[in-house]
Amino acid sequence: MDSSELYHVKQQFILGAYKTLITSSLPDESSQDYIPILLYQVRAHIALSDPQSALKLIPSGTDNVALKAAASLARYVSGTDTDAVLEELRDLSVEVEGDDAEGSERDRAMVRVLAGTAFARAGEVEEALETLGADTEDLEAVAVVVQIYLSINRPDLARKEFERAKRWAEDDLLLQLIESTIGLVTGKDSYSNCSSFYSEQIANPSLSSPHLLTSRGVTRILRNEFQEAKSDLEESLTQQKDDAEALAAHVVASGLAPSKKGEADDLWNQLVSEHPTHPIVIDVAKKSQFFDECAANFTVPPTAVASRA
Amino acid sequence: MSVMLTKFESKSNRVKGLAFHPTQPLLAAALHNGSVQLWNYRMGVLVDRFEEHEGPVRGVAIHPTRALLATGGDDYKIKVWDIRPQNRKCLFTLHGHLDYVRTVQFHHEMPWILSASDDQTIRIWNSTSRNCIAILTGHSHYVMSAQFHPKDDLIVSASMDQTVRVWDISGLRKNTPNQGAPGAPGGPSGPGNFETFDNFSTVKYVLEGHDRGVNYAMFHPTLPLIISAADDRVIKIWRMSETKAWEVDSCRGHFNNVSNALFHPKHELIVSCGEDKTIRVWDLAKRTAIQTFRREHDRFWVLAAHPNLNLFAAGHDSGLIVFKLERERPAFAVHQDTLYYIRDKYVRAYDFGTGSDIGLLGVRKFGSPYVPPRTLSYNPAERAVITTITSDGGMFELATLPQGQQGDVKDSSVDGKKGPGQSAIFVARNRLAVLNKNTQLIEVRDLSNSVLKTIKPPVQTNEIFYGGTASLILSSTSSVVLYDIQQQKTIAEVNSPPVKYVVWNADGSLVALMSKHTITIANRNFSQTSLIHETIRIKSGAWDDAGVFIYSTLNHIKYCLSQGDHGVICTLDNPVYLTRVKGKTVHCLDRSARPRTITFDPTEYRFKLALLKNNHEEMLYIIKNSNLLGQSIIGYLQQKGFPEIALHFVQETNTRFELAIECGNLEVAMETAKEIDRPECWERLAQQALKQGNHKIVEKAYQQTKNFDRLSFLYLATGSVDKLAKMQKIADARGNPMSRFHNALYAGDVEGRIAVLRDVGLHPLAYLTAKTNGLDELAEEILEGAGLTAADIDDVPTFGASTLKPPPVVTTTTNLNWPVVSAGENFWDRVLANGMLEGGTEPAYVNGDAAAAASSALDAWAKEEEIPDDIDPEEGGWELDAEGEEFQTGREDESDEPEEEELGAGAAPGVSEVEHWTKNSPLAADHVAAGSFDTAMQLLNRQLGVVNFVLLKPLFLSIYRSSHTYLSPMASLPPLQLHVRRNPAESSLSRVLPVVARSLQSVRSELTEGYRLVSGNKLAEAQEAFRHVLQSLLVVVLSSDEEAKQWRDTVTAAREYLLGVSIELERRRVAEQEPDNTQRSLELAAYFTHCQLQPPHMQIALRSASNIFAKANNQAHAARFSRRLLELKPDPKIVAQARQRIAAGDRNPRNAVEISYDEFTQFEICAASFTPIYKGSPSVHCPYTNASFHPQYKGQLDPLAQLTEIGATASGLPAPW
Repeated sequence: MDSSELYHVKQQFILGAYKTLITSSLPDESSQDYIPILLYQVRAHIALSDPQSALKLIPSGTDNVALKAAASLARYVSGTDTDAVLEELRDLSVEVEGDDAEGSERDRAMVRVLAGTAFARAGEVEEALETLGADTEDLEAVAVVVQIYLSINRPDLARKEFERAKRWAEDDLLLQLIESTIGLVTGKDSYSNCSSFYSEQIANPSLSSPHLLTSRGVTRILRNEFQEAKSDLEESLTQQKDDAEALAAHVVASGLAPSKKGEADDLWNQLVSEHPTHPIVIDVAKKSQFFDECAANFTVPPTAVASRA
Repeated sequence: MSVMLTKFESKSNRVKGLAFHPTQPLLAAALHNGSVQLWNYRMGVLVDRFEEHEGPVRGVAIHPTRALLATGGDDYKIKVWDIRPQNRKCLFTLHGHLDYVRTVQFHHEMPWILSASDDQTIRIWNSTSRNCIAILTGHSHYVMSAQFHPKDDLIVSASMDQTVRVWDISGLRKNTPNQGAPGAPGGPSGPGNFETFDNFSTVKYVLEGHDRGVNYAMFHPTLPLIISAADDRVIKIWRMSETKAWEVDSCRGHFNNVSNALFHPKHELIVSCGEDKTIRVWDLAKRTAIQTFRREHDRFWVLAAHPNLNLFAAGHDSGLIVFKLERERPAFAVHQDTLYYIRDKYVRAYDFGTGSDIGLLGVRKFGSPYVPPRTLSYNPAERAVITTITSDGGMFELATLPQGQQGDVKDSSVDGKKGPGQSAIFVARNRLAVLNKNTQLIEVRDLSNSVLKTIKPPVQTNEIFYGGTASLILSSTSSVVLYDIQQQKTIAEVNSPPVKYVVWNADGSLVALMSKHTITIANRNFSQTSLIHETIRIKSGAWDDAGVFIYSTLNHIKYCLSQGDHGVICTLDNPVYLTRVKGKTVHCLDRSARPRTITFDPTEYRFKLALLKNNHEEMLYIIKNSNLLGQSIIGYLQQKGFPEIALHFVQETNTRFELAIECGNLEVAMETAKEIDRPECWERLAQQALKQGNHKIVEKAYQQTKNFDRLSFLYLATGSVDKLAKMQKIADARGNPMSRFHNALYAGDVEGRIAVLRDVGLHPLAYLTAKTNGLDELAEEILEGAGLTAADIDDVPTFGASTLKPPPVVTTTTNLNWPVVSAGENFWDRVLANGMLEGGTEPAYVNGDAAAAASSALDAWAKEEEIPDDIDPEEGGWELDAEGEEFQTGREDESDEPEEEELGAGAAPGVSEVEHWTKNSPLAADHVAAGSFDTAMQLLNRQLGVVNFVLLKPLFLSIYRSSHTYLSPMASLPPLQLHVRRNPAESSLSRVLPVVARSLQSVRSELTEGYRLVSGNKLAEAQEAFRHVLQSLLVVVLSSDEEAKQWRDTVTAAREYLLGVSIELERRRVAEQEPDNTQRSLELAAYFTHCQLQPPHMQIALRSASNIFAKANNQAHAARFSRRLLELKPDPKIVAQARQRIAAGDRNPRNAVEISYDEFTQFEICAASFTPIYKGSPSVHCPYTNASFHPQYKGQLDPLAQLTEIGATASGLPAPW
């Protein structure tokens, strides 16, 4: 069982309380928890799209495979020489295979999770799944696998993976998160499970995370509770101004809730200018182009005007 | 109630807390010495111990759905444990209580744990966040217990302060705390922050009435009742309504502190226990004591009821007991297609065929009202039943069942004949036998209940059963006796533990004698028997039509063949009592005596039966038609000495190989060996083939393993000269001198041999070989090569010429395999040769010749074979023709396919939800939301004739944008795209639809905004607004006819205003740019008044027209407009002006300017030219707004909304609702 400190760090990471996580202090280097907690901090930096700080945290010349993998992921996210970084991760995942591989079981599992994450980011779904393994007993890996399945529209497989994990990963917060993620995609029982999961976690006094508010906001959008969603998302944005995800969801909620004229468009413009790489921005831009192509298929006749004879 | 059946007892330290596992036979016991024990009370073994508490543990609870255990102890701690054996551990500890923890409980659905403590508080903990989420304060002394309400958000607590309290915690569920301030960091659940939690749980009722401290209180599972047990030796029952709660009654009888009192989960009973060393059962309705169970030395501290079963546990000073309050086995008897059984003290008849279930006879007044009858015996000839009951020292009652159905169900007390006796059965049409255990006498009585004969049984008899005509089966402690009543002598005796139930098969040729852990299957006269032993308690059994005994244990339904083979058919959650087996259906009664059916797959035991009877046709048929695979059947066949049959079940190559070797099937062995291709396989194959003299396969096997030595020798043995030559070449190539030498020797190749000897430097040997084989020249050569002359070897003796050479080939064995005696044509070989899966006629389900060879015991079984064909229509399943079967197989394959799909890297992407959206909806709006702009445009074009889409782009994009949202549940992964549905309650992908981004409501408010602009004379903006309305209306989602009508009205209104505004704008343009064109200006002003506007706007149009016409000195027209204005009842000021205009017009009724305006003929206005189209003139229309145009504009773009092609054909909006 994890120590209480590690449990909380893990909880913060899973529930997206990255900002709190990176400001917390590290335990002593000799502590057993040092590496795991350091890893969570590094990953929190990466999750906040701040790979430079992540890289600074990692002691240079470390032998720990998990830290090496985390460094690679950070470099991948920073966008420099991505092909080489992917190769590094491939090497690392090969290195942790086999019985005589280096590092603890935990570290090796972490390498797979980090490598799988990078592969998934690179769109290498098959490779990601292969790296993570279909019969893994590492819950983080399951979480990544499930999200990948969901991203390729295979909620059936995601559910299967989840059901399998349920057998051995009882009472784990991450498992509940996985379940609610699946719920968000499949919409089972009117998203009630997701909704209560996020509500419960928001009420959890041991941490606060704007990410949870965003998540519940998104859930509420899905439940067609747009006003409530807006208030969640506004709250989330006040806590974390530059959060692209909350802003993007806010655009959607504003577009659907009865709101001031142009509010959604203003938010949209803000999103486009501040976060030009968010998938929704890219997607809509693509759709805009698509619209022009489609519209061009129709010939527009001349406008009927009175001929002034 | 005279029974309290103890199921299990344990000895230990004092037990203070107990909790049943909801589904498994597990019981957790919290002990005073700090240990928590987990017992399997069914097996009677200690499964686990949890020992981390310091000091006594009082509270214990098992989670209703998960493998979690909560305990609370005198160390103030609550611990939550994972109880699964593979990872049993303490998951976490909840700190916070400041004194002993008395009880703990899991909530039935929320992740909450409830605890009561001597610190006078009740706390609720969230087991996910592991925090205290509520502290209930109010009790002024130790809180002895706290329990959740089974459904509502209530808690009941009992305290030493002599009160019972009911708490309302609905606030906790609705509004979890800290929601308003999720930023509040940390949440230590230590002392000092009581007030944080106080505001969402309130005391609802305080129940006062006990004179001493209250030890326990609980809610009734279904009724609004509370029960409490206190140190004043009284159990109190309380009732509550929405607004108040009051005391109903007390149960007095305990003569010391009452520790615990429970409602019976199913019956109207109360069970209590106390320090007076008793457990008492009370009638809840009458509040009277029914039964007392006393223990000599142990005070009782705690009681627990199983949530679903009739089981209780009580903890006392030196251990615990698990007990039942009543037998659950219903009394029943089967005759032909009818089951006679007793439920709720009524004899009922259930028809297996039709499922009809009717009450026939009440037995309510028979014996104690709390005890159900124990056995039932049915006499079809007289339509009579005998029931026995254990109360009152044991008695029986003989009663007749009514003929046919009657209005009122009579009670047996009317004409029933009773008598004392522990066991009573019909033995003939008009005879019954009654056993009196105490006197050890069996009385034979007639139907008038007079004793005809008295028999002294030859053994100590505990129970009697029907033993066939004029015979009884007597069950004694160590044997069963078959006893002839007439001759009064023992026919046979079989050793057996006490037999409890006896089941005869349909034709009375076989009988199953069941005791607690054994079943003895015997024939009619007990001359042949076989014994089955079960570790789990045997409950009941019934005979299959094919002569297989099907029986149930506590947790399985199993089968048993006559020779003693048995196996599991299926597992059971709860015990059932089998009454009848028919084809694939088991009829049974459950514990509440309700008839049920269970269907199962009889293939396995049918197959074994066929094997037993050597009925190969049937076996083949089963193999062909069912999915009989699996290790168990293979193991069974192998063990029973049928490897060749097992071979047909096995797909897995290794096992196939093993089996093939075992049964000497070289072809199959060869095939599989090729697939496996491992040296040890080839070696084993070679050995087996060698045994059979099949040297061709041996050769092949040696070749595979490159066993050159053996290969060469094989070729020598078979006389394969050319192959030997090849081997020589191979040996040369390998450069192995030994091998070369061997081969040369085998092949009789002297030169070769000499060459080898020379090559390895054995010149003397080479020389001699050459010499002895008469190759003198070669010998000289060798000698020279060695640098010697003949003189040097003078001392070498001379040898005679060698006669060493390979034997000549007599028979060309090379081409022949060793002849093997045919093992006779095996059925299975034939089947194989015919191609198993196609060939073969369908065998009759009757045992043919094969049965004749079977043992005599099987003859009886064989005869029964006919029964299924005759009477069981379900057996038709066995006679399906080949085509039907193939079809079935095909279908199975299909359905298997998706399951076989593997998780992992190969996962193919699925169908995106947006594709479902487009599939599920014919509405353009939904296609837009799905991002399928191309189909959306096609739909709009087809439905409403839209061609100019450029204007719609912002609309399309904003709808698309609003229909999808993104979330990253996992750090750093690309966010998931989530699709917003308008029917969130729907999760079936074939019905999901995208969210409504533009509702009719919102568009109508835009229209109102347009009206406001018109009133404010902001016509250019208004024109834009109306155009926008018309654009938005294209992508509105409609859901009813009502809405469709509103939609059409809205389109029309927007069109009219757009037309009016456009006309007015044109008029202003004309007035400004062509001031001379008064005629056009006047015309446009007049047309404007013919747009369908709302009265306020119509007034504006009319006033403006009236002014303009008056100015142009067209007084007649101006007066006309003013009259129309008056009809609209405008302001008085406007009225005055209008009246002036009318007066002016009356004075001077003429028009200075001639205009094209005939207000008395109905007309529409051409939206392109703004000229009238009088009624009857040809016109074309906009396919969307239905605006009218002169025919010459057909095919051009509608200038109003600028969306459609004028005159294009369109299908209109679909109505998908």
